[in-house]
Amino acid sequence: MSEMKGIREIVGKDHTATVPVPQDENTIKLKSVLLEDIQRSAYVYRVDCGGCNGCEIEIFAATTPVFDAERFGIKVVASPRHADILLFTGAVTRAMRMPALRAYEAAPDPKIVVSYGACGCDGGIFHDLYCVWGGTDKIVPVDVYIPGCPPTPAATIYGLAVALGILDQKLKGSSVKEEEGEKATLKHTGIPLEMKVIIEREARRLAGYRHGGLIADDFMNILVESTTETVDTNIKAYLDEKDDPRLREIFDNLYRVSLAELCGRSQPADARAED
Amino acid sequence: MFKLFKSITKAGDSIVKYPFAPLDVSDDFRGKPEYNAKDCIACAACTRACPANALIMETKADENSRRWELSMARCIFCGRCEEVCPTGAIKLSKEFELAVTNKADLYEDATFTLAHCRECETPFAPRKAVDYAMDLLVQSGISEEQQAKRHEQVETCPECLRKQSMLDYDNVFHGKHLNNVHLKQEERV
Repeated sequence: MSEMKGIREIVGKDHTATVPVPQDENTIKLKSVLLEDIQRSAYVYRVDCGGCNGCEIEIFAATTPVFDAERFGIKVVASPRHADILLFTGAVTRAMRMPALRAYEAAPDPKIVVSYGACGCDGGIFHDLYCVWGGTDKIVPVDVYIPGCPPTPAATIYGLAVALGILDQKLKGSSVKEEEGEKATLKHTGIPLEMKVIIEREARRLAGYRHGGLIADDFMNILVESTTETVDTNIKAYLDEKDDPRLREIFDNLYRVSLAELCGRSQPADARAED
Repeated sequence: MFKLFKSITKAGDSIVKYPFAPLDVSDDFRGKPEYNAKDCIACAACTRACPANALIMETKADENSRRWELSMARCIFCGRCEEVCPTGAIKLSKEFELAVTNKADLYEDATFTLAHCRECETPFAPRKAVDYAMDLLVQSGISEEQQAKRHEQVETCPECLRKQSMLDYDNVFHGKHLNNVHLKQEERV
Protein backbone atom coordinates (compact mmCIF):
# COMPACT_ATOMS: atom_id res chain seq x y z
CA MET A 1 0.00 0.00 0.00
CA SER A 2 1.47 3.30 -0.98
CA GLU A 3 0.12 6.62 0.35
CA MET A 4 -2.84 6.93 2.69
CA LYS A 5 -4.83 10.14 2.69
CA GLY A 6 -4.10 12.27 5.72
CA ILE A 7 -1.30 10.03 6.98
CA ARG A 8 2.39 10.79 6.72
CA GLU A 9 5.00 8.09 7.18
CA ILE A 10 7.91 8.96 9.43
CA VAL A 11 10.03 5.83 9.55
CA GLY A 12 8.94 2.78 7.59
CA LYS A 13 5.38 1.54 7.78
CA ASP A 14 5.11 1.37 11.56
CA HIS A 15 5.68 5.01 12.37
CA THR A 16 3.16 7.44 11.02
CA ALA A 17 1.80 10.88 11.79
CA THR A 18 -1.44 12.45 10.68
CA VAL A 19 -1.66 15.60 8.59
CA PRO A 20 -4.66 17.88 8.94
CA VAL A 21 -7.04 17.97 6.00
CA PRO A 22 -5.92 20.83 3.74
CA GLN A 23 -8.13 23.89 3.47
CA ASP A 24 -8.25 25.83 0.21
CA GLU A 25 -8.36 29.61 -0.02
CA ASN A 26 -11.95 29.77 -1.23
CA THR A 27 -13.16 27.91 1.83
CA ILE A 28 -11.34 30.32 4.11
CA LYS A 29 -12.91 33.26 2.24
CA LEU A 30 -16.32 31.62 2.43
CA LYS A 31 -15.88 31.12 6.15
CA SER A 32 -15.47 34.84 6.80
CA VAL A 33 -18.64 35.46 4.78
CA LEU A 34 -20.42 32.80 6.78
CA LEU A 35 -19.40 34.45 10.04
CA GLU A 36 -20.99 37.71 8.88
CA ASP A 37 -24.18 36.08 7.64
CA ILE A 38 -24.71 33.54 10.36
CA GLN A 39 -25.70 36.17 12.97
CA ARG A 40 -28.54 34.44 14.77
CA SER A 41 -28.47 30.75 14.28
CA ALA A 42 -25.65 28.24 14.35
CA TYR A 43 -26.23 24.53 14.21
CA VAL A 44 -23.77 22.43 16.13
CA TYR A 45 -22.87 18.86 15.39
CA ARG A 46 -20.98 17.02 18.06
CA VAL A 47 -18.29 14.59 16.94
CA ASP A 48 -17.11 12.26 19.67
CA CYS A 49 -13.61 11.08 18.76
CA GLY A 50 -13.17 8.77 21.72
CA GLY A 51 -13.79 10.97 24.74
CA CYS A 52 -14.97 9.96 28.20
CA ASN A 53 -18.42 11.57 27.71
CA GLY A 54 -17.68 14.29 30.27
CA CYS A 55 -17.56 16.84 27.48
CA GLU A 56 -20.86 15.59 26.03
CA ILE A 57 -22.55 15.97 29.39
CA GLU A 58 -21.35 19.58 29.61
CA ILE A 59 -22.47 20.32 26.04
CA PHE A 60 -25.94 19.11 26.92
CA ALA A 61 -25.79 21.03 30.19
CA ALA A 62 -25.23 24.14 28.08
CA THR A 63 -28.49 23.50 26.23
CA THR A 64 -30.53 23.06 29.44
CA PRO A 65 -32.85 25.88 30.61
CA VAL A 66 -30.26 27.26 33.04
CA PHE A 67 -27.68 28.14 30.40
CA ASP A 68 -30.02 27.84 27.46
CA ALA A 69 -27.71 28.06 24.47
CA GLU A 70 -30.76 27.94 22.21
CA ARG A 71 -31.63 31.54 23.07
CA PHE A 72 -28.64 32.45 20.87
CA GLY A 73 -29.83 30.07 18.17
CA ILE A 74 -27.19 27.49 19.01
CA LYS A 75 -28.82 24.15 18.41
CA VAL A 76 -27.40 20.65 18.59
CA VAL A 77 -28.32 18.73 15.45
CA ALA A 78 -28.22 15.03 14.69
CA SER A 79 -26.43 15.05 11.35
CA PRO A 80 -23.22 16.71 10.15
CA ARG A 81 -25.05 17.64 6.94
CA HIS A 82 -27.08 20.19 8.92
CA ALA A 83 -24.14 21.62 10.81
CA ASP A 84 -22.40 24.99 10.72
CA ILE A 85 -20.17 24.21 13.67
CA LEU A 86 -18.46 20.89 14.32
CA LEU A 87 -17.59 20.24 17.94
CA PHE A 88 -14.81 17.67 18.23
CA THR A 89 -14.43 16.10 21.65
CA GLY A 90 -12.02 13.40 22.76
CA ALA A 91 -8.38 12.66 22.06
CA VAL A 92 -8.96 11.14 18.56
CA THR A 93 -8.37 7.45 19.04
CA ARG A 94 -7.09 5.43 16.10
CA ALA A 95 -10.51 3.81 15.63
CA MET A 96 -12.35 7.15 15.64
CA ARG A 97 -10.08 8.99 13.21
CA MET A 98 -11.93 7.84 10.09
CA PRO A 99 -15.47 8.44 11.44
CA ALA A 100 -14.35 11.90 12.56
CA LEU A 101 -12.93 12.64 9.11
CA ARG A 102 -16.15 11.38 7.51
CA ALA A 103 -18.19 13.74 9.71
CA TYR A 104 -15.86 16.57 8.72
CA GLU A 105 -16.21 15.80 5.01
CA ALA A 106 -19.98 15.41 5.34
CA ALA A 107 -20.51 18.88 6.81
CA PRO A 108 -21.18 21.48 4.13
CA ASP A 109 -18.50 24.11 3.49
CA PRO A 110 -17.89 26.59 5.01
CA LYS A 111 -17.80 25.00 8.45
CA ILE A 112 -16.35 26.12 11.74
CA VAL A 113 -14.36 23.49 13.60
CA VAL A 114 -14.18 23.75 17.37
CA SER A 115 -11.84 21.63 19.43
CA TYR A 116 -13.56 20.94 22.72
CA GLY A 117 -12.02 19.97 26.05
CA ALA A 118 -8.46 19.18 27.11
CA CYS A 119 -8.43 15.99 25.02
CA GLY A 120 -9.63 17.76 21.92
CA CYS A 121 -7.13 20.60 22.30
CA ASP A 122 -3.97 18.60 22.91
CA GLY A 123 -4.82 15.05 23.83
CA GLY A 124 -5.36 15.90 27.52
CA ILE A 125 -4.29 13.19 29.92
CA PHE A 126 -4.25 10.72 27.02
CA HIS A 127 -1.74 12.73 24.98
CA ASP A 128 1.05 10.13 25.09
CA LEU A 129 -1.03 6.98 24.67
CA TYR A 130 -0.08 4.65 21.83
CA CYS A 131 -3.65 4.48 20.56
CA VAL A 132 -4.50 8.18 20.20
CA TRP A 133 -3.49 10.82 17.70
CA GLY A 134 -3.68 13.42 20.46
CA GLY A 135 -5.90 16.34 19.55
CA THR A 136 -8.33 17.42 16.87
CA ASP A 137 -5.81 19.64 15.10
CA LYS A 138 -3.84 16.57 14.09
CA ILE A 139 -6.62 15.51 11.69
CA VAL A 140 -8.60 18.64 10.74
CA PRO A 141 -7.88 22.40 10.70
CA VAL A 142 -9.27 23.89 13.94
CA ASP A 143 -10.70 27.40 14.30
CA VAL A 144 -11.35 27.63 18.03
CA TYR A 145 -9.95 25.77 21.03
CA ILE A 146 -12.07 25.48 24.18
CA PRO A 147 -9.84 24.09 26.97
CA GLY A 148 -11.17 22.57 30.19
CA CYS A 149 -11.70 19.11 31.56
CA PRO A 150 -14.56 19.37 30.82
CA PRO A 151 -15.28 23.01 29.97
CA THR A 152 -18.18 24.33 32.08
CA PRO A 153 -21.44 25.21 30.28
CA ALA A 154 -20.54 28.89 30.66
CA ALA A 155 -17.14 28.26 29.06
CA THR A 156 -18.92 26.37 26.27
CA ILE A 157 -21.19 29.32 25.53
CA TYR A 158 -18.21 31.68 25.64
CA GLY A 159 -16.26 29.42 23.29
CA LEU A 160 -19.08 29.22 20.79
CA ALA A 161 -19.46 33.00 20.97
CA VAL A 162 -15.74 33.31 20.17
CA ALA A 163 -16.22 30.87 17.29
CA LEU A 164 -19.04 32.98 15.90
CA GLY A 165 -16.99 36.16 16.31
CA ILE A 166 -19.39 37.71 18.84
CA LEU A 167 -16.98 37.86 21.77
CA ASP A 168 -13.23 38.41 21.71
CA GLN A 169 -10.71 36.02 23.14
CA LYS A 170 -9.37 37.05 26.55
CA LEU A 171 -6.47 34.67 27.06
CA LYS A 172 -3.05 35.78 25.85
CA GLY A 173 0.06 33.67 25.73
CA SER A 174 2.94 34.98 27.83
CA SER A 175 6.64 34.45 28.15
CA VAL A 176 8.58 35.68 31.17
CA LYS A 177 12.33 35.85 31.73
CA GLU A 178 13.92 35.83 35.14
CA GLU A 179 15.23 39.24 36.14
CA GLU A 180 18.62 39.89 37.67
CA GLY A 181 18.58 39.37 41.44
CA GLU A 182 14.92 38.40 41.51
CA LYS A 183 13.94 36.61 44.73
CA ALA A 184 10.94 34.57 45.78
CA THR A 185 9.13 36.17 48.71
CA LEU A 186 9.09 34.30 51.98
CA LYS A 187 5.64 33.91 53.46
CA HIS A 188 4.69 34.31 57.13
CA THR A 189 8.18 35.35 58.21
CA GLY A 190 7.06 35.92 61.81
CA ILE A 191 6.33 32.25 62.46
CA PRO A 192 9.10 29.72 63.22
CA LEU A 193 9.62 27.14 60.50
CA GLU A 194 8.77 24.16 62.70
CA MET A 195 5.49 25.67 63.77
CA LYS A 196 4.60 26.35 60.13
CA VAL A 197 5.17 22.71 59.34
CA ILE A 198 3.00 21.60 62.27
CA ILE A 199 0.15 23.96 61.34
CA GLU A 200 0.23 22.98 57.68
CA ARG A 201 0.39 19.28 58.43
CA GLU A 202 -2.53 19.47 60.84
CA ALA A 203 -4.63 21.56 58.44
CA ARG A 204 -3.96 19.19 55.58
CA ARG A 205 -4.76 16.20 57.76
CA LEU A 206 -8.12 17.69 58.66
CA ALA A 207 -9.24 19.37 55.46
CA GLY A 208 -7.54 17.45 52.67
CA TYR A 209 -4.45 18.52 50.80
CA ARG A 210 -5.51 21.50 48.70
CA HIS A 211 -8.01 23.04 51.11
CA GLY A 212 -5.75 22.30 54.05
CA GLY A 213 -3.04 24.35 52.39
CA LEU A 214 -5.42 27.26 51.83
CA ILE A 215 -6.75 27.12 55.40
CA ALA A 216 -3.23 26.93 56.88
CA ASP A 217 -2.33 29.95 54.74
CA ASP A 218 -5.28 31.97 56.07
CA PHE A 219 -4.57 30.91 59.65
CA MET A 220 -0.91 31.91 59.46
CA ASN A 221 -1.82 35.20 57.81
CA ILE A 222 -3.97 36.01 60.82
CA LEU A 223 -1.21 34.95 63.22
CA VAL A 224 1.34 37.16 61.46
CA GLU A 225 -0.93 40.19 61.35
CA SER A 226 -2.02 40.13 64.98
CA THR A 227 -0.33 40.50 68.36
CA THR A 228 -0.87 38.27 71.40
CA GLU A 229 -3.73 40.50 72.54
CA THR A 230 -5.57 40.74 69.23
CA VAL A 231 -5.14 37.20 67.94
CA ASP A 232 -8.35 35.85 69.53
CA THR A 233 -10.54 38.67 68.26
CA ASN A 234 -9.00 38.45 64.78
CA ILE A 235 -9.63 34.72 64.53
CA LYS A 236 -13.18 35.20 65.80
CA ALA A 237 -13.85 37.95 63.26
CA TYR A 238 -12.54 35.75 60.43
CA LEU A 239 -14.64 32.77 61.50
CA ASP A 240 -17.76 34.91 61.89
CA GLU A 241 -17.25 36.25 58.40
CA LYS A 242 -16.89 32.75 56.90
CA ASP A 243 -19.67 31.28 59.07
CA ASP A 244 -18.71 27.66 58.51
CA PRO A 245 -18.77 25.15 61.41
CA ARG A 246 -16.23 22.88 59.67
CA LEU A 247 -13.77 25.74 59.34
CA ARG A 248 -14.35 26.65 62.98
CA GLU A 249 -13.49 23.13 64.06
CA ILE A 250 -10.30 23.11 62.00
CA PHE A 251 -9.25 26.54 63.25
CA ASP A 252 -9.79 25.42 66.87
CA ASN A 253 -7.55 22.46 66.23
CA LEU A 254 -4.88 24.56 64.56
CA TYR A 255 -4.94 27.04 67.42
CA ARG A 256 -4.54 24.22 69.91
CA VAL A 257 -1.59 22.59 68.18
CA SER A 258 0.20 25.89 67.68
CA LEU A 259 -0.31 26.80 71.35
CA ALA A 260 0.98 23.39 72.39
CA GLU A 261 4.02 23.91 70.18
CA LEU A 262 4.68 27.33 71.75
CA CYS A 263 4.31 26.10 75.33
CA GLY A 264 6.07 22.79 74.83
CA ARG A 265 9.34 24.36 73.82
CA SER A 266 11.20 26.28 76.53
CA GLN A 267 13.85 28.04 74.41
CA PRO A 268 12.47 28.23 70.92
CA ALA A 269 15.09 30.36 69.17
CA ASP A 270 18.27 29.33 70.98
CA ALA A 271 17.70 25.60 70.95
CA ARG A 272 17.53 25.53 67.19
CA ALA A 273 20.51 27.81 66.67
CA GLU A 274 22.84 25.29 68.24
CA ASP A 275 22.13 22.35 65.97
CA MET B 1 -54.81 30.29 32.91
CA PHE B 2 -54.12 33.12 35.36
CA LYS B 3 -53.13 30.54 37.90
CA LEU B 4 -50.47 29.32 35.48
CA PHE B 5 -49.10 32.83 34.88
CA LYS B 6 -49.08 33.38 38.62
CA SER B 7 -47.00 30.28 39.25
CA ILE B 8 -44.71 31.21 36.37
CA THR B 9 -44.02 34.64 37.84
CA LYS B 10 -43.54 33.08 41.25
CA ALA B 11 -41.01 30.57 39.92
CA GLY B 12 -39.00 33.41 38.41
CA ASP B 13 -36.36 33.23 35.71
CA SER B 14 -33.97 30.33 35.94
CA ILE B 15 -31.78 31.32 32.98
CA VAL B 16 -28.42 32.80 33.92
CA LYS B 17 -27.60 36.13 32.34
CA TYR B 18 -24.12 34.87 31.61
CA PRO B 19 -22.67 36.31 28.41
CA PHE B 20 -24.32 39.67 29.11
CA ALA B 21 -23.49 39.77 32.82
CA PRO B 22 -20.56 38.22 34.67
CA LEU B 23 -21.24 34.75 36.02
CA ASP B 24 -20.90 34.08 39.74
CA VAL B 25 -18.84 30.96 40.22
CA SER B 26 -18.55 29.13 43.52
CA ASP B 27 -15.71 29.77 45.98
CA ASP B 28 -13.99 26.50 45.24
CA PHE B 29 -14.14 26.85 41.46
CA ARG B 30 -10.92 25.74 39.83
CA GLY B 31 -10.24 27.87 36.78
CA LYS B 32 -7.14 29.06 34.96
CA PRO B 33 -3.90 28.47 36.91
CA GLU B 34 -2.58 31.95 37.68
CA TYR B 35 1.20 31.91 37.64
CA ASN B 36 3.44 34.41 39.37
CA ALA B 37 6.92 34.03 37.90
CA LYS B 38 8.47 36.25 40.57
CA ASP B 39 7.64 33.82 43.37
CA CYS B 40 8.57 30.74 41.36
CA ILE B 41 11.83 29.05 42.41
CA ALA B 42 11.82 26.62 39.45
CA CYS B 43 11.89 23.61 41.76
CA ALA B 44 9.76 21.59 39.30
CA ALA B 45 7.46 20.22 42.02
CA CYS B 46 4.43 21.20 39.94
CA THR B 47 5.71 19.48 36.82
CA ARG B 48 6.11 16.26 38.78
CA ALA B 49 2.63 16.52 40.27
CA CYS B 50 0.85 17.42 37.02
CA PRO B 51 -1.10 14.32 35.92
CA ALA B 52 -1.64 15.58 32.37
CA ASN B 53 1.94 16.81 31.78
CA ALA B 54 0.50 20.25 31.12
CA LEU B 55 3.43 21.63 33.11
CA ILE B 56 6.85 20.98 31.70
CA MET B 57 10.32 21.88 32.99
CA GLU B 58 13.32 21.67 30.68
CA THR B 59 16.86 22.18 31.92
CA LYS B 60 19.56 23.17 29.48
CA ALA B 61 22.95 23.22 31.17
CA ASP B 62 24.77 24.57 28.12
CA GLU B 63 22.43 27.56 27.86
CA ASN B 64 22.41 27.99 31.64
CA SER B 65 18.63 28.03 31.68
CA ARG B 66 15.63 26.17 32.95
CA ARG B 67 12.36 26.69 31.16
CA TRP B 68 8.94 26.24 32.74
CA GLU B 69 5.93 25.87 30.49
CA LEU B 70 2.21 25.62 31.10
CA SER B 71 -0.04 24.36 28.34
CA MET B 72 -3.61 25.41 29.03
CA ALA B 73 -4.68 23.06 26.25
CA ARG B 74 -3.68 20.03 28.26
CA CYS B 75 -4.51 21.35 31.72
CA ILE B 76 -7.31 19.46 33.49
CA PHE B 77 -7.64 22.06 36.31
CA CYS B 78 -7.11 19.54 39.11
CA GLY B 79 -5.18 21.96 41.33
CA ARG B 80 -2.35 19.58 42.10
CA CYS B 81 0.25 22.19 41.15
CA GLU B 82 -1.26 24.54 43.72
CA GLU B 83 -1.11 21.82 46.37
CA VAL B 84 2.57 21.14 45.96
CA CYS B 85 3.93 24.63 45.23
CA PRO B 86 6.19 25.52 48.18
CA THR B 87 6.04 29.27 47.53
CA GLY B 88 2.44 29.63 46.36
CA ALA B 89 3.56 30.88 42.95
CA ILE B 90 0.78 29.03 41.15
CA LYS B 91 -2.84 29.44 42.19
CA LEU B 92 -6.04 28.40 40.46
CA SER B 93 -8.18 31.45 39.74
CA LYS B 94 -11.86 31.72 38.93
CA GLU B 95 -11.18 32.62 35.31
CA PHE B 96 -13.00 30.21 32.97
CA GLU B 97 -13.19 32.14 29.69
CA LEU B 98 -10.27 30.43 28.04
CA ALA B 99 -11.38 29.80 24.47
CA VAL B 100 -8.83 30.93 21.89
CA THR B 101 -8.61 31.04 18.14
CA ASN B 102 -4.82 30.89 18.10
CA LYS B 103 -3.32 27.86 19.80
CA ALA B 104 -0.12 29.70 20.76
CA ASP B 105 -2.16 31.76 23.22
CA LEU B 106 -2.77 28.67 25.32
CA TYR B 107 0.88 28.48 26.35
CA GLU B 108 2.70 30.31 29.11
CA ASP B 109 6.39 30.01 29.79
CA ALA B 110 9.10 31.37 32.05
CA THR B 111 12.88 31.03 31.90
CA PHE B 112 15.18 30.83 34.90
CA THR B 113 18.94 30.80 35.34
CA LEU B 114 20.97 28.09 37.06
CA ALA B 115 23.32 28.35 40.02
CA HIS B 116 26.89 27.09 39.57
CA CYS B 117 28.78 25.08 42.14
CA ARG B 118 31.51 26.93 44.06
CA GLU B 119 33.99 24.11 43.62
CA CYS B 120 33.48 22.54 40.23
CA GLU B 121 31.53 25.30 38.44
CA THR B 122 28.87 22.92 37.11
CA PRO B 123 25.26 24.09 37.23
CA PHE B 124 23.36 22.05 39.83
CA ALA B 125 20.14 23.86 40.80
CA PRO B 126 18.08 26.91 39.79
CA ARG B 127 19.57 30.07 41.26
CA LYS B 128 16.29 31.15 42.81
CA ALA B 129 15.86 27.81 44.60
CA VAL B 130 19.35 28.15 46.10
CA ASP B 131 18.60 31.69 47.24
CA TYR B 132 15.27 30.59 48.67
CA ALA B 133 16.89 27.80 50.68
CA MET B 134 19.40 30.29 52.10
CA ASP B 135 16.64 32.79 52.92
CA LEU B 136 14.72 30.09 54.77
CA LEU B 137 17.81 29.20 56.80
CA VAL B 138 18.41 32.85 57.68
CA GLN B 139 14.77 33.29 58.65
CA SER B 140 14.84 30.21 60.88
CA GLY B 141 17.18 32.18 63.14
CA ILE B 142 20.67 30.74 62.74
CA SER B 143 23.65 32.76 63.93
CA GLU B 144 25.81 34.93 61.65
CA GLU B 145 28.76 32.59 61.89
CA GLN B 146 26.63 29.64 60.88
CA GLN B 147 25.10 31.64 58.06
CA ALA B 148 28.47 32.00 56.39
CA LYS B 149 29.15 28.29 56.78
CA ARG B 150 25.74 27.33 55.46
CA HIS B 151 26.12 29.73 52.56
CA GLU B 152 29.13 27.77 51.35
CA GLN B 153 27.26 24.52 51.81
CA VAL B 154 24.17 25.69 49.97
CA GLU B 155 26.17 26.93 47.02
CA THR B 156 28.07 23.67 46.54
CA CYS B 157 26.76 20.85 44.40
CA PRO B 158 25.87 17.52 46.08
CA GLU B 159 28.79 15.78 44.39
CA CYS B 160 31.36 18.18 45.82
CA LEU B 161 29.63 18.16 49.22
CA ARG B 162 30.02 14.42 49.33
CA LYS B 163 33.71 14.68 48.49
CA GLN B 164 34.21 17.34 51.14
CA SER B 165 32.56 15.32 53.84
CA MET B 166 34.66 12.31 52.88
CA LEU B 167 37.82 14.34 53.38
CA ASP B 168 36.56 15.72 56.67
CA TYR B 169 38.06 13.30 59.20
CA ASP B 170 35.30 13.84 61.77
CA ASN B 171 32.65 12.57 59.41
CA VAL B 172 34.27 9.26 58.66
CA PHE B 173 33.42 6.44 61.04
CA HIS B 174 35.56 3.47 60.07
CA GLY B 175 35.02 1.90 63.44
CA LYS B 176 31.32 1.41 62.89
CA HIS B 177 31.75 -0.72 59.79
CA LEU B 178 34.60 -2.67 61.25
CA ASN B 179 32.52 -3.55 64.27
CA ASN B 180 29.67 -4.75 62.10
CA VAL B 181 31.94 -7.07 60.16
CA HIS B 182 33.45 -8.27 63.37
CA LEU B 183 30.05 -9.00 64.90
CA LYS B 184 28.92 -10.94 61.85
CA GLN B 185 32.03 -13.09 62.01
CA GLU B 186 31.35 -13.81 65.65
CA GLU B 187 27.81 -14.88 64.86
CA ARG B 188 29.02 -17.36 62.30
CA VAL B 189 31.38 -18.90 64.77
